Amino acid sequence: MAANNSVNISFTVNGERFNNVNVPTRQHLADYLRSQGFTGTHLGCEQGACGACTIEMDGKAVRSCLVLASQVNGTNLKTVEGFDDEMMEKVKQNFLKHNAFQCGFCSPGMLMTTKEILLNKKKLTRDEIRSEISGNYCRCTGYQSIVDAIEECINEIN
Amino acid sequence: MKAADFLYHEAVNLQDAIKIKSQDDEAVILAGGQSLLPALNMRLSSPTCLIDISKISGLNEIKIDGQTLFIGALATHSDVMNNKIVKDNMPCMIDIFKMVAHPAIRNKGTHGGSIAYGDPAAELPALAVATNAEIIVSGQNGERSINAKEFYLGLFETAINQDEIVVGIKYPLLKQGQKIVFDEVCRRHGDYAMAGLIANVVGSKNDIKVLKLVFFATGDKPDIADKTARLCLENGYDYDKLKNSLSTEIDFAGDLNSSSEMKLHLATVLIKKVLSKLEN
Repeated sequence: MAANNSVNISFTVNGERFNNVNVPTRQHLADYLRSQGFTGTHLGCEQGACGACTIEMDGKAVRSCLVLASQVNGTNLKTVEGFDDEMMEKVKQNFLKHNAFQCGFCSPGMLMTTKEILLNKKKLTRDEIRSEISGNYCRCTGYQSIVDAIEECINEIN
Repeated sequence: MKAADFLYHEAVNLQDAIKIKSQDDEAVILAGGQSLLPALNMRLSSPTCLIDISKISGLNEIKIDGQTLFIGALATHSDVMNNKIVKDNMPCMIDIFKMVAHPAIRNKGTHGGSIAYGDPAAELPALAVATNAEIIVSGQNGERSINAKEFYLGLFETAINQDEIVVGIKYPLLKQGQKIVFDEVCRRHGDYAMAGLIANVVGSKNDIKVLKLVFFATGDKPDIADKTARLCLENGYDYDKLKNSLSTEIDFAGDLNSSSEMKLHLATVLIKKVLSKLEN
């Protein structure tokens, strides 16, 4: 296969199949997803610091600004729009209850990170929760409420 | 910002990647991309071609190989942190990785990538130097092994030839009584350190027999401070003496977060912090 400025790739987003779509090689995944209507994936810093663009790739949380669209050939992606299972419904309810969605900009990344915390099934202290979400910035500084919400999620699940 | 235009080649196997790399001296290897992509997005780097090796199978193995712990280049930081062989044989690595960025970045960032990128502020190059690790690279003439000390030449500069790719790292297994201790100072959790230290120690807190000090985020590559380590062994911890010694041994390079003077102070204090972690 010769090197190229655009590539054809196939992958899945929230169960929806994308077959043989052409993407420019320089486009990162977050921009591609947003161009396809998955605007729940937010872009803050585009250098991996803020965590707003965190999505799930083959079951693991990754920064979609630090993955090229051309790299996702054959993968299974999930964005915040695809959070409709029972566990994530509960998480969203807990975030609402504790007022952990303030302006909402960081929320997609926070929810994605919360999902990974819950899947790891560890009982975390508040300090450990803070450490786990240290890669997600909330510029409303609503961390207290977010930690409250995640703590309740952990207590419900364990 | 957005990355400048480049060609993209998804390597089907190692030979394929080596061939493309040997033909284009501005081509860059893409593994996890967690350091490369920010550099591309900020246009600090604009290579002609990215050779994506992330889908090559068999490069993420973690195993005991003779008297060494072998970590394949494509093992992610999360793979390493959650690996039992690593936990049993080099538990310090797990503590170190807790300070490397954040979970979502560790899910993608690779061991070989961090070693090959050679960021002077990164932990892994310093760990490789402190543990006397061997970096295994593969090229047109087959594999060769480069000692970590000889691997890092300068700022983001390594001994990798144009046709070579890092395929794995061999860390010598720790001997009885040997310990790797580590600490760093950074403004926010997960940031690059303002100064960091990895010490390779034989002995206990009150009876240190061998001491090797390797600093990171201090100069243009992992900084070995043998003279200061000897002084520390002979005289114990004396801030002024050690600071003076470090200032002659390391060419401290200041950055946006900390001046060279501040890094010198932090490095000196780190010796005390790291040694206090040893058991009696």
